[in-house]
Amino acid sequence: MSGIIPLTILVVMLCFWLRSRRRAKRAEGIASEIGAGLLPAERQNTDRAAPDPEAEAVLAALSRGDWLPAAQALAAAGTDWERRSYLVGIVAARAADDDTWLRAWQAARPGDPDAAVVHADAKVSLAWQIRGGAWAKDTSAERFEGFHRVLNEAREDFARAEALAHPGDPTPYLLQIPLYMGLGAPHEALHGLWAEVTKRAPYHYEAHWYALQFWSAKWRGSKDLARDFAAQAAATAPPGSLLTMFPLVSWYEHNDDEAPAEAYGWPEMTALTDAALADVAMARPGHPRIAEVRHLLAYCLTKQGRYEAALEQFRMVDGHVEALPWRYYGDPAEFYCHVRDVALKGAAAARIAG
Amino acid sequence: MSASPRALRALVLLAGFYLVALAVLGVLVGADVAAWIWAPAPVAIKVTVITALLGYPVLRGAFALGEGSGDEREALPVTEAEQPELWGTVRALAERSGTRAPDEILLVGEVNAAVSEDARLLGLLPGRRRLYIGVPLLAGLSEPQLHSVIAHELGHYGNADTRLAGITRRGRDCVLRTVGAFQERERKRIGKERSRQEKADAKRLRKGKKARGVDTGRTGLRYRVMAKPFQAYARFYLRVTSGVGRQQELAADRMAVRVAGRDATASALREIAALDAAHDFYQSRYAMLGVEAGLLPPRGEVFGGLRRLLADPERRSALAELRGELPADEESPYDSHPPVAERVRLIEALPDDGRGADPARPALALLRDTERVLARLEDVLLTPEALAMERAEWPELAHRAMYTRATVGAGPLRTALATAGVASGSASGDLTALLDSADTGRLWLVAGYLPKSSDAARATGRAAREFLRPALEAGTYRLAELALVEKAGAYWELSWSERVRLRLPGAAYSGGTQGAPDMEKAPDMEEALAAAVRAATADAPDTAPLRTLLSH
Repeated sequence: MSGIIPLTILVVMLCFWLRSRRRAKRAEGIASEIGAGLLPAERQNTDRAAPDPEAEAVLAALSRGDWLPAAQALAAAGTDWERRSYLVGIVAARAADDDTWLRAWQAARPGDPDAAVVHADAKVSLAWQIRGGAWAKDTSAERFEGFHRVLNEAREDFARAEALAHPGDPTPYLLQIPLYMGLGAPHEALHGLWAEVTKRAPYHYEAHWYALQFWSAKWRGSKDLARDFAAQAAATAPPGSLLTMFPLVSWYEHNDDEAPAEAYGWPEMTALTDAALADVAMARPGHPRIAEVRHLLAYCLTKQGRYEAALEQFRMVDGHVEALPWRYYGDPAEFYCHVRDVALKGAAAARIAG
Repeated sequence: MSASPRALRALVLLAGFYLVALAVLGVLVGADVAAWIWAPAPVAIKVTVITALLGYPVLRGAFALGEGSGDEREALPVTEAEQPELWGTVRALAERSGTRAPDEILLVGEVNAAVSEDARLLGLLPGRRRLYIGVPLLAGLSEPQLHSVIAHELGHYGNADTRLAGITRRGRDCVLRTVGAFQERERKRIGKERSRQEKADAKRLRKGKKARGVDTGRTGLRYRVMAKPFQAYARFYLRVTSGVGRQQELAADRMAVRVAGRDATASALREIAALDAAHDFYQSRYAMLGVEAGLLPPRGEVFGGLRRLLADPERRSALAELRGELPADEESPYDSHPPVAERVRLIEALPDDGRGADPARPALALLRDTERVLARLEDVLLTPEALAMERAEWPELAHRAMYTRATVGAGPLRTALATAGVASGSASGDLTALLDSADTGRLWLVAGYLPKSSDAARATGRAAREFLRPALEAGTYRLAELALVEKAGAYWELSWSERVRLRLPGAAYSGGTQGAPDMEKAPDMEEALAAAVRAATADAPDTAPLRTLLSH
């Protein structure tokens, strides 16, 4: 008699275990079914947030020392200031490693505004390469000396780029924000520069990206300054300008490390995420930054347990992972796939339950 | 009397310190007794040795054992027979301050004056008095200003108001000495441990094993633990008594005003702040200029040369500015001195005593046989290594010192040229080889042989170049200087109004305005050289300006 009760408990537990195992198996099956088109970590591109054949062609030509496609791409971007600053960044990053072709370009076309702004921005990239990404206390005096020296050179280069640029072009101004950050410029100086940027392009995505970095606690601002800046930008920008991204970025930068996992589900965060979703839906399809927003949205939605919505974003950007938050990790592709799998399993479990 | 209750409190605090010391010693002795009663002899011996080692700093600090004279600073004593005027002045000042004159007067090399007293019986009985006077003060102050400084120091001995507060001063010295004794023991111990571990590491390496690295974290721990109660007490003590210390300073200032006059005292404080900066500057830029080259200025000039700097009209106006703005040093709760600016403000707020700060003799006039005293001061204050150095007259010293610096500065680049296989041996030949490399696009190949930090060695592309650029530019500049000396007879010239500059013999130079005095041409030459070096080492090198400069 006394043996019956433990036995019953054991049998019941076994039943539950078998059931949950079966469910897990089914969920796994469903997950692999709905995630069939998604790529494994080793096939994720870690150089870009989205495919960009034009940029790839430009870089391929630069590797051969041919600067003409770069010049043509910049000319083709014309007054699409989002595309222009994006391309300048890509080309300049390459010039920070080796600028032989850039010198050829400048020699062939003296006074070319495109080459001038690439030259200046390359100095900033170069300076950052010299500094390295470590905290100030772990950065040697030699690195800092080179960092400041090259940044100071870049100031002159930017002055030249400004003088050569189209009067309505915000690029040489907005690309100076990281320079101001590195040289520890006072707040008033950035306000002055910011007026020059917004006069030319009030809702420029990359300008806001850099400015938010400046106002962040890790550079020249604070948690509150960054939050206020991002909220103000998101509130005043027209739909489709993607500036609703920045309250999310600010929150992620200042809270992700310490906040509890459920913090992403708090009403404040959910509202910010919904605003960004609406903004993305309104953005023009060719916006060079839309993929970046989708990446961060996919992360936030997963954290909020909104797996189906997260998967929708994952599907649209899968294959390229050079974006927040993945890029902050040692192995971005691996972390991306890990979060994506969480979303996949969550969605599958929801389907079984539903 | 407001000082008395505070002084009494200080006395109690000092007694408390001795209580701590006695308690610690009691514990140590107790441990010994216990060990000898209950432990086997070897353990007891070990315990005794340890307690003796630990107890020594306590004894030494609290009861000033093994202190010798109590003051071991290096100084040149001057007797009354040698310096009757100086002694006469000090005696007269002591009389007017109402205190006993010092028993010794000693000269030191700093911008400072100080008094000390070998007090006995826990600092309750007076002892032998010493007055230290910094020679730079003699060189930079007027006679009334020096009177004020000495009167201030004597005021520390004799202020009737603060006689009891003297215990505080002695107490502070005592507390700090004990803490200092512990720190010194700990340092020595860690030093020993470090060299022992380094030796062990070297041995391991010789045997082909991996070195363990040096870790002295635990060594000296015993001393640190022992010092803890004393340090805590010292902090407490200093916080409580620093107010008294500040009051003593202000009282000494009042004494100085009474004896030497308001204006002389205020101007002396301002002058000392400026003199301090001038002395540091003189020591690093002039007196020690040739140390790398193994050279010192002529005998007596190491301390005496400051007079030349102070006499220079351009330096004088720079110093006048310094006198106007007093250093706004931050007030620390442990500092016994109120900020100088505060002291000057208080003094200048006193009513005019009509004595003014008339132009008066420089204080150095009090010293007999000045040059001989300055030379003897060097014998006392300089290290044997420094005394063994060659002496050179200022112009020669400047040129040889800078030539050595240029040689040392160009060294790594010349080694790199040699490694690249293009060195020629002479400085101008090496420079030409470097410029040829730049013109043929091999500049960074050569620069690649310069010594690199680990960061620089890891960098690639343009970043690698930027890591090397400062060393390349500096090396090229130095090499160009050497080449100019070699080929154009350039030389470095010392000036008391500005830094040492490289100059070309007048006629050989064509870059400046025709007929302009040499003084104005020279800066152009250095700027032109720097610009030419930058052009030659730029990403798109242009060696023409440097070649032109060198062809003269």
